[in-house]
Amino acid sequence: MLDSISFLRIIKTGITNFVRNLWLSMAATMVMTITLVIFSTLFLLFVLTSYSINTIQNTVDISVYFKIGLAEEQINTIKNEVSQDPKVKEVTYVSASQAFDEFKAKHENDELITQSLNELNENPLPATLHIKASELEDYPVVAEKMQSEQYADFIDKVNFEDNRLIIERLNKVLNFIITFGLALFAVFVLIAVLVIYNTITLTIYNRKEEVEIMRLVGATNWYIRGPFLTESMMYSIFSTIITGLLFIPVFTKVIPAVTNYVSPDVSLYNNSVFNYAYLLLILFGLSVVLSVSSTLFAIRKYLKI
Amino acid sequence: MIKFENVIKKYNHQRALDGINLQVHRGEFVSLVGLSGAGKSTLLKLIIGEEIIDGGKIFIDDIDIAQVKKTDLPYLRRKIGMVFQDIKLLPRRTAFENVAFAMEVCGHRLDKIKIEVPKILDLVGLLHKQNSFPNEMSGGEKQRVAIARALSHRPVLLLADEPTGNLDEVNAAEVLDLLMKINQLGTTVILATHASDLVNKIKKRVITIEGGKITIEQQKGKYKL
Repeated sequence: MLDSISFLRIIKTGITNFVRNLWLSMAATMVMTITLVIFSTLFLLFVLTSYSINTIQNTVDISVYFKIGLAEEQINTIKNEVSQDPKVKEVTYVSASQAFDEFKAKHENDELITQSLNELNENPLPATLHIKASELEDYPVVAEKMQSEQYADFIDKVNFEDNRLIIERLNKVLNFIITFGLALFAVFVLIAVLVIYNTITLTIYNRKEEVEIMRLVGATNWYIRGPFLTESMMYSIFSTIITGLLFIPVFTKVIPAVTNYVSPDVSLYNNSVFNYAYLLLILFGLSVVLSVSSTLFAIRKYLKI
Repeated sequence: MIKFENVIKKYNHQRALDGINLQVHRGEFVSLVGLSGAGKSTLLKLIIGEEIIDGGKIFIDDIDIAQVKKTDLPYLRRKIGMVFQDIKLLPRRTAFENVAFAMEVCGHRLDKIKIEVPKILDLVGLLHKQNSFPNEMSGGEKQRVAIARALSHRPVLLLADEPTGNLDEVNAAEVLDLLMKINQLGTTVILATHASDLVNKIKKRVITIEGGKITIEQQKGKYKL
């Protein structure tokens, strides 16, 4: 078992190795950093895009305005018919008086509107159905059906804001991120693994004599391997720190701006602090897995114990 | 202390050691002689577990080396000191640091190292050179530092593989005297060499190896080949 003195000596030797091959260590750290930056960018783009798609998808609906004064029974029949359509996920009915109350509540601070409303004898607002379709592509079909002859006598207007174009574009972006991004990421993972593998191999070569002597005077296997693992852990630590620093502006500026644009009511900013720590943790885990595994490969191949 | 029972070691189907039977007792000084390639180095490497035997058995203090786990080998090696023809000192460390290095890697505390290393360097007669680097020392001095390093764990057994191979007569004599002194202090020493004049000077047990077999054994022997 390792005692604390040996542990400290291993760390010290690892740091010495890192400093002795400073240029190589820096190169290894840089490559690892680039890999982490690519990963973080993809990760964040993915999260933001899917968040945006979800949010926009939720805002899409069809508003059906009934003719004013239409009987409640008639409205109910139509509502039931619409609900039975398998393409329809959800139907919400807002009656004329509800709509009127909501409208009043929304503009209660606006005196001009309040005054003119008070002068009205009857409710000028129509009863409304808000329809959500099951799938995005169902919206135009449902909207068209509501505009057909069948309902022409009862329905005044069908309002359907077609956000499908935006959503389709976002979906394309998401697919692009997944395919192209993953390919790029895979390439850099490979480069990082190779660079670290070679750096550690070189360190092993440089310390050949020392390792041989250590072995002969009875150093344990982990005492001999430890410094190489320490060295590779340092690549992980430094690259995580650098990547973390690079992404601070993204978290403080870009993400709030995007979430604010997509959904002004919901503030994700408070969440993103948590997400930042979470991202750092993922980055560190990823870099440790990459550097330690490539180091173990190098040790296995070149370090004769 | 060490017992070889019909030990066989092959390299690429060629027998480097072919049926070695040998027993070394505690406190003995044994010279292992033979031409280069006779199998002397192989025999020493088997003792520290650096090579694995292909047949027979080796016991150290009744422990079968083949049964020692790979992770326990380092602890076996701490009981055995070893010196080589090519000395193997770290060139960028002083005499003191080279000896201290061996103690560091085995987890000794710094305060203990600071007390022990000068004692050991004094034993090999190099306390005044403790701050010298290997390139500032003669061949004999360097080999004595290597012996000091091998002694740092207070081993019960010291293996010396051609320790005087690269040294001139005077330096070789220095090293040999040191090995005999260490033996007198109680450490078992096995010296592998092909230097006949050294062996004749020691006048202790001599084992001659030829072609992987023990051909001559003498209790107070001379080099005969």
